[in-house]
Amino acid sequence: MHVRRIADRELTFIVSGKLWRNSLVMMDRETGSLWSHLTGECLEGELTGSRLEQIATVQTTWKDWSDAHPATRALKKDAEIHGSRYQKYFDDPDRIGILPMTFLSDTMTGKTIVHGVLVNGQALAVVDTALTSPIEVECGGTALKIFRGKDGGVRARRVADESELAVRLAYWFAWSSYFPHTRVWPNTE
Amino acid sequence: MKFRLPLILLVAFLVASVPLSLAQRPDPEVHGTFEGDPMYTLLEPNAIPAIDDPEYVTGAVAAAQMAAEETVMGVATGTDAVCWSTWQLDRHEIVNDRLDDTPIAATW
Repeated sequence: MHVRRIADRELTFIVSGKLWRNSLVMMDRETGSLWSHLTGECLEGELTGSRLEQIATVQTTWKDWSDAHPATRALKKDAEIHGSRYQKYFDDPDRIGILPMTFLSDTMTGKTIVHGVLVNGQALAVVDTALTSPIEVECGGTALKIFRGKDGGVRARRVADESELAVRLAYWFAWSSYFPHTRVWPNTE
Repeated sequence: MKFRLPLILLVAFLVASVPLSLAQRPDPEVHGTFEGDPMYTLLEPNAIPAIDDPEYVTGAVAAAQMAAEETVMGVATGTDAVCWSTWQLDRHEIVNDRLDDTPIAATW
């Protein structure tokens, strides 16, 4: 999740209709600049080089989220929605993005789910199925604790001050195409 | 002249109905190259509509519109907890909102 503000200037975002590295490119209404939704970085336009501040969110199920946060607000639906439009895509291990791309296919299969963090330019991918208990791991010169909370969401905190970092749930193909130098936990080398 | 509009509609319908094979499908337009990777243009801006004025529900009303296994993206600040169904975000991809007065964009 992004703070949609650059130097006190508030921005609103629309879907640009473009894809970069098989993921959403946002456009701000105010300047027409193009932004990567994965990194929050402006790639083209007046605000090129600016980066949106990130707020940590978690991805989990409604049951686990609402059990842990019973007073939660949920985005109101205008129509009944019974599943994801992309479920067939999610379920097919051979469908890797919708456009040609390169990723680190030797490390693990493209549809492996990872939790990605980025510290001081160093990327780390934690394999979802391996995170059965809290881990302490170093990334970008910073000691991190990464754990699954009561609401089912995976969070990362700096050991030094308990401050939280944004964690991205991603397919391995997507994460490794953005961050080809990423480290992986558990380390399989 | 009477028949012109229906004819145009029929032709448009037929053209739209012919499935393009993979070989015939034009390559998506490359908008530019960023950090070595192409950015493709697939749709016009705003063809997938972002949500600008989100409304929220809580309690039993929220429970009634959600499935137990439905995936959500959530954030809890201590004073507020909010979640967005990713099944719903498939159709919008972006929600422009505020969280404790901070302008935020939830994206999927």
